[in-house]
Amino acid sequence: MSELARIDAEHRGSLCVIRLHGEVDISNDREVLAAIETAVPHSALRLIVDLTHTTYLDSAGLALLLRLAERLQARRQQMRIVAPLGSPVRTVLELTGMLGVIPVEGRLEDAVRESEQGDGRQESS
Amino acid sequence: MGAGESTPLKTPGGLAQTFRSDPLNYMAKTLIVASAYYLSARLGLRVALIERNVTPLWPPTGIALVAFLVFGRALWPGVALGAFAVNLPITNGLAAAATAAGNTLAPLAAASLLIRVGFRREIDRLWDAVDIVFLGALLSMLISASVGAGTLLVSGVISAHEFPAAWAVWWTGDAMGVLVVAPFLLSLFQRPWSGSLRERAEGAALLLLVAVVSLLVMNTDRGLMFLVIPILGWTAWRFQQRGAAPAALIAAGIASWAAAQGLGPFRQGTLFEKMITLQSFDATVAFSSLFFAALVTERMRDREALERAADELEMRVTRRTAELSAANELLKREIVERHETDRRLRQREGQLAEAQEAAQVGSWEWLIPENRVSWSDEMFRIHGFLPQEFPLTFEKALAQVAEDDVVRIRASVKAALERGRGQHLPDIEYRIVRPDGVERVLRGKAKLNVGSNGQPLRMIGTVQDVTESKMAEREHRIAETLQRSLLPDRLPEVPGVMLTARYVPATSDMEIGGDWYDVMQLPDGLVGLAIGDVAGHGLRAASTMGQMRMALRVCALEERSPNRVVTRLRHLVRGQLDADFATLVYLVFDPDSGMVRFANAGHPPPLVVRGTDGATYLEGGLGPPLGAVGFPDHHLDVTYHLAAGSTLFLFTDGLVERRGATIRDGLDRLKTLVAVSDEDLEAMCDHLLFEMVGSDVSDDVALLAFRPVLLAREPLLLRLPAEPHVLAPFRWTLRRWLREIGASPQIANDILVASGEACANVIQHAYGAKEGLLEVDLVVLDGTVEVTVRDRGAWRPSDGRGTGYGERLIRGLMDSVDVKSGSGGTVVRMRRRLQAGSQGERARPH
Repeated sequence: MSELARIDAEHRGSLCVIRLHGEVDISNDREVLAAIETAVPHSALRLIVDLTHTTYLDSAGLALLLRLAERLQARRQQMRIVAPLGSPVRTVLELTGMLGVIPVEGRLEDAVRESEQGDGRQESS
Repeated sequence: MGAGESTPLKTPGGLAQTFRSDPLNYMAKTLIVASAYYLSARLGLRVALIERNVTPLWPPTGIALVAFLVFGRALWPGVALGAFAVNLPITNGLAAAATAAGNTLAPLAAASLLIRVGFRREIDRLWDAVDIVFLGALLSMLISASVGAGTLLVSGVISAHEFPAAWAVWWTGDAMGVLVVAPFLLSLFQRPWSGSLRERAEGAALLLLVAVVSLLVMNTDRGLMFLVIPILGWTAWRFQQRGAAPAALIAAGIASWAAAQGLGPFRQGTLFEKMITLQSFDATVAFSSLFFAALVTERMRDREALERAADELEMRVTRRTAELSAANELLKREIVERHETDRRLRQREGQLAEAQEAAQVGSWEWLIPENRVSWSDEMFRIHGFLPQEFPLTFEKALAQVAEDDVVRIRASVKAALERGRGQHLPDIEYRIVRPDGVERVLRGKAKLNVGSNGQPLRMIGTVQDVTESKMAEREHRIAETLQRSLLPDRLPEVPGVMLTARYVPATSDMEIGGDWYDVMQLPDGLVGLAIGDVAGHGLRAASTMGQMRMALRVCALEERSPNRVVTRLRHLVRGQLDADFATLVYLVFDPDSGMVRFANAGHPPPLVVRGTDGATYLEGGLGPPLGAVGFPDHHLDVTYHLAAGSTLFLFTDGLVERRGATIRDGLDRLKTLVAVSDEDLEAMCDHLLFEMVGSDVSDDVALLAFRPVLLAREPLLLRLPAEPHVLAPFRWTLRRWLREIGASPQIANDILVASGEACANVIQHAYGAKEGLLEVDLVVLDGTVEVTVRDRGAWRPSDGRGTGYGERLIRGLMDSVDVKSGSGGTVVRMRRRLQAGSQGERARPH
């Protein structure tokens, strides 16, 4: 993995939290995607990509997130994004209308709670 | 006269000529001779013994002879005239004429004979005396005696029985006239006498003595006439003919006079007895004086000649001796010089041999026509033999050379010989194998000498054993290559940071050191700088240094803290690396904040120059060198704020270590130099190296200098390769620039993302597979940032990956966007006001 960005993964049962540190652009988007795919186990039903420590994200990063979300959806896995309000990444997500495509929370706790509730809703429906 | 002309005259030969040209002179001389003859005859007749016409001493014959000898026989008429005049009164005319003819013929014959035999008038040789006595007197006077006595007989003056006596008296008288008078007269015609006054007085006294003694003995009855002889002898001894002739004349004259007067010894006896006595006396006197004088003269001359010869001999001997001794001196000097030259030559040969031994240089000579090769002692030693162990030829000299090298040597020699002129051969390196099997590498130099018509005469040359230096040179070359390859070939370009490095290898062969440096671009725009020195020299140090550099690169990517990087290296050196000892400064610079964090492992401290504020060494954070044991690992990073415009130097000890000066002196000197140095970073480094190191680099020197500069002073103009990996450093630079121009974090991020998108588009779409340039210009105009992103390529259709988000982002983040695309490329110009107000105008979907 390049020195530009790195990830760490945290597993809480069927929930997997991926924290993306650093910057994502066309020079490392594929590596980052591959790293996240590797880090997410098949057993994980829910994925949270935490962009709190992501210092730069452009359209290549957005494309990465979309592709990841599509792939998870095909596997019946759901994905949420954490992007603090007013952060550089949040602006990018807002401007590109990503908020209507992938659920975006401002804080990780909110995302975890929403994820669990959504899960329960899914299970109950 | 005809006879006079036809006979060659030794005596003044000009008379005949004189006669022709000057008859008056001739006549005068003839008359003088005639008169002299007549007068002397009258005088002679006064002493006549018989009838007044036969006289025992007849001077005229002497006069006539001398006249002929001195003035020439052409004067005979004078003689004839005188003789006729003398005889005419005595007899009748006819008898007088006959007698005169006889009296003329006799001296004429005498003169002719004497001239013929080479008579000398000086009578200084015995032969002259003999000639005048026998030829001039006794023989010639037979004529006058016979003619005269015969005339007397014919004319009846004497009877037949008186004839013998008359003839004898006539003959002896005439002969005595010649003997007594002629020498005297001849002596008068010699060179003027150069005798001293005393000698003249002595001569006169002797002549007087002759006269006195003669008179005395003539006046006594006792037979004492012989007493005159010793005095004559004495006179002849002392003065030769000069004295003898007059003395003889005086003695004979007085005796004749005495005989005529009948005095003393001539008082008794018959006429014949008197005649015998007188003639004997006269003859004795004449003979004695004549012969004695001639003898003495001859002896004296001989003695003089002998003396002259002796003198000459002596002179020649002296001269020859001098020459010999000079030659001898020269020879001695030459011998001494030869000795000295010899000694010097031997000394020089000795020195040469020593020098050859010391330099391991052998010399050789090849006399080509004789194919004789000679080697110096060192040449033998180089080849592994004892000096002069065996005689050599060209072939034998090459016996130990490696085969392929022999071919090269032969080719080189052949080419030189074919060129046929004096020349230096190209230097050649070749291998030999010594008898003990050791291989050595030699370097040969050679020179060919040729004769006047180009024929090769000899080749001389030197050979040096370069085995050690070849090996050292090879290792040095490898080490240097390795070291160069291990040092960064170019430094990363970090916007806002000026950076330069110098590496100067040691000049001496084996001093390739383990000095190294490195500059890395680290995550988040950080710059890592390292400088280090591995102990030792040569290949090992160079390879250790390479390992160290790689290890540091790996650690630097993983660890942010310089101290932790150094600590990891410390463990590595202790356990893994092939190094005993190494020093290192590792420093991380954050261009964003201007903060420097560093750790130092026993290395000379970094030096900071803050504009005109002076220089400071950053001496904190110092730990022990890598490889040193027993020190704790815990050290803290030292931080330092490096303001824009400050310069930081990292260097190795080669820069500050000089022979004869402490390292502290060197550090102080460097500090002083830096404080007054140029502003230009490159010039500064060159200046430092020049001043601190000069041309004699005893140890390697590495020098790294960097200086952060304020980006915001000017528009940011970036020319980057259109490659994905430039995007991150581009953003770091852009962030810093935006912060420095005072953009808010929010706005800075908007501009950053929009610019990043535009650049990513260029990288992805403008050039395809080709290399291309990405040009980004950022300027601030009236509170608005204008970003221009330009490419020179042709856009290809989007592959859909971007899904239009990029354009949406750009338009959403910036106040205005203007895209112009053409055949020469595409220009995207974007503007964003720095005032926060503009943000509110933008509609943002929430």
